[in-house]
Formats: sequence, structure tokens, C-alpha cells
Amino acid sequence: MISGLVQILLWQGLGELISYFLIPILPGPVLGLIFLLMFLIIKGQVNPSLATVSDAFSQHLGVLFIPAAVGVILFLPQLKAHAFAVIIALIMSVVLTIVTTAVILRLIARKNSNES
Amino acid sequence: MNPDQLQIAEIWVYLSGSPLFALIITLTAYQAGILFYEKANKNPLANPVAIAVVLVAIALYLVGMPYQRYFEGAQFVHFLLGTATVALAVPIYRSFAILKTRLIPLTIALLCGGAVSIASAVGISTFLGADTAIIGAFYPKSVTAPIAMGIAERVGVSPTLTAVFAIVTGILGAILGSSILNLLGMRAWWQRGFAMGVAAHGIGTSRAFAVHPEAGVYASLAMGMHGILGAILIPLLVSYIR
Repeated sequence: MISGLVQILLWQGLGELISYFLIPILPGPVLGLIFLLMFLIIKGQVNPSLATVSDAFSQHLGVLFIPAAVGVILFLPQLKAHAFAVIIALIMSVVLTIVTTAVILRLIARKNSNES
Repeated sequence: MNPDQLQIAEIWVYLSGSPLFALIITLTAYQAGILFYEKANKNPLANPVAIAVVLVAIALYLVGMPYQRYFEGAQFVHFLLGTATVALAVPIYRSFAILKTRLIPLTIALLCGGAVSIASAVGISTFLGADTAIIGAFYPKSVTAPIAMGIAERVGVSPTLTAVFAIVTGILGAILGSSILNLLGMRAWWQRGFAMGVAAHGIGTSRAFAVHPEAGVYASLAMGMHGILGAILIPLLVSYIR
């Protein structure tokens, strides 16, 4: 358990350092994620301690964005003023994204099965 | 004021000055959200995070605590977001096992879906006259919330609005997804799942798992790919547009 947490913190630290000195446009934790992913692909397996910690994190990922999301109370007047634009944009965007992705997958899959 | 009331007030001043109060309301609200979500048979509308956010906001309003003071205490929870982002590498690695078989179609569909997600949200909100802070937060909203908030910080938009838009997008995708896919006549589970994961990240993925295991696996693959490609491409796109 502790060893898994140490591994993750070290990859995060490396990510933060690279982000700070070399690639400021990418967030440190995302670089840490990419490094750890490459490490796992090369190694070909996940050690049990790392698996335990990461499963605990993914299971309750939601609790971690509560503090930032509560900040929405500061944006309420702004959101109220633009409520219509925000709601329409959110709904239309999610519908169009699902339609685009699904239709493209089906087109490619059909084309492939016709060729073979 | 009688002595009893004085004592309670003193305890209150003491508690609200330490991170303990913020941590207690954050975790209690989340626990309540989880209980409610399970009671509601995991209906996406009863999203535990959304419920917790509302409960914490009400609690802060009732005790008259400004958001900044709450965040000072809750930042310990917030800090772990970065660590949890790194830990996402493990589920992404596991889902990559199935990527090899359909690498090209999935990548093309993801890039198109991601582009449509950004173009439609940014386009519609701009057309309807939303302000720049809101429009900026639409760029990363289809990416899973922890990564989306990291992207938001780097491109200088509000992580708060991004998190809220990401959560609402997830809920909408989970509610509308199945009907849209049925209307389109989509039959293959892997295609249905992948579309859900691209559009509605974690919340869509848990919905997809509830519908069919194959859909769930492809949804979580889509969420992982979208997270990584989004984190690399969205900052480039934003800096190019500005």
C-alpha cells in the first residue's frame, strides 16, 4: 500500500519537474500519468501495491473534485446571466459528440467488413 | 448570553478555524451523496458528487463561511487530485490491452468526437453570447474531470467551472446516451460504449458498465484515450486560437 503510494508520488514529482522546466503547457500530474503509463507498458504488468492504491483512488475519484466544484457558488450570478447559453451548449455538445463518435465507428467498421 | 451558549460559540470558533470542519463537511456530504446514489439505484441524475457539492454549498451558506475559508481547509482533499490523476495510469493501462485490435478506427473516432465536442460547445456558447470565462471552461469539459481541471489551470480558465461543466456533461451523457444510440440504430456494444466514454468520461463509463460489460470496457478505454490526447492537444489548440 505504502510502496504503491510512494511510486505514484515519485512519478507525480517527476511530472511536476518536467512540467516546470521543460513542458510548461502540460500539467505535472498528466505528465506523471503518461510516464507511469509508459513504464507499465514497458514492464508489462502492474505490481499489487500500485494496483491497490490506484483502485482506491479511482473508486472515490469524485470526492477529490468537491472542494474545487463548490467554488461554483462564486460563479452563480455569471451562470445565471448566461444560463440559456450554458444549458443549450452542454446538451447539444454531448448529443453531437455521441452521434459523431458512434456514426464514425460504424462507418469505418462497415467499410472494413465490406473490404475483407 | 448564558454560559452554555458562550461555550458553544467558543467551540464553534475553534472548529471553524481548523481544516477539520472543511474536511468533515466535504467527506460527510460525499458519504450522503453515495448513500443517496445507491438508494436511487445508481440513477445518473443522483450523481454523488453533484449532491455533495449542493450539500456543502448549503452548509457553507448556513454557517456563513466564505468559500475561500472553506477551501483553505479542503485543499488537503484538493491536493490529492494530482496524485489521483497519476494513478489513472493503471486503469488506462488495463484498458489498453483491447486497444491493439481496433487502434485506428478508435483513434479516428475519438479525434472526431473530441473535436465536435469542443467545436459545438464553444461555438454554441459563443453564438448565444456567453462570456469568455464560461466559453474557456468549455474546451476541456468532455475530458475526465481531474485531467480537465489540470488542463484548465494551464490554459488559464477556471478549474471550478471546468469541473462543474465536466460533471454536468457526464450526467447528461449518461441520461441521454442510450436513447441517442438507440435512435441511431447502433447495435455493436463496443461502438456504443466507446461513444459514451468519449462524450461523457467517467459518469458515462459507469453507465455503460451498468448496461453491458463490453460497452463499459470500451467506454473506459475511450475515457483514458480522451484524457491523454485531450491533455496534449487542448492546450495546443487553446494557445493557437488565442
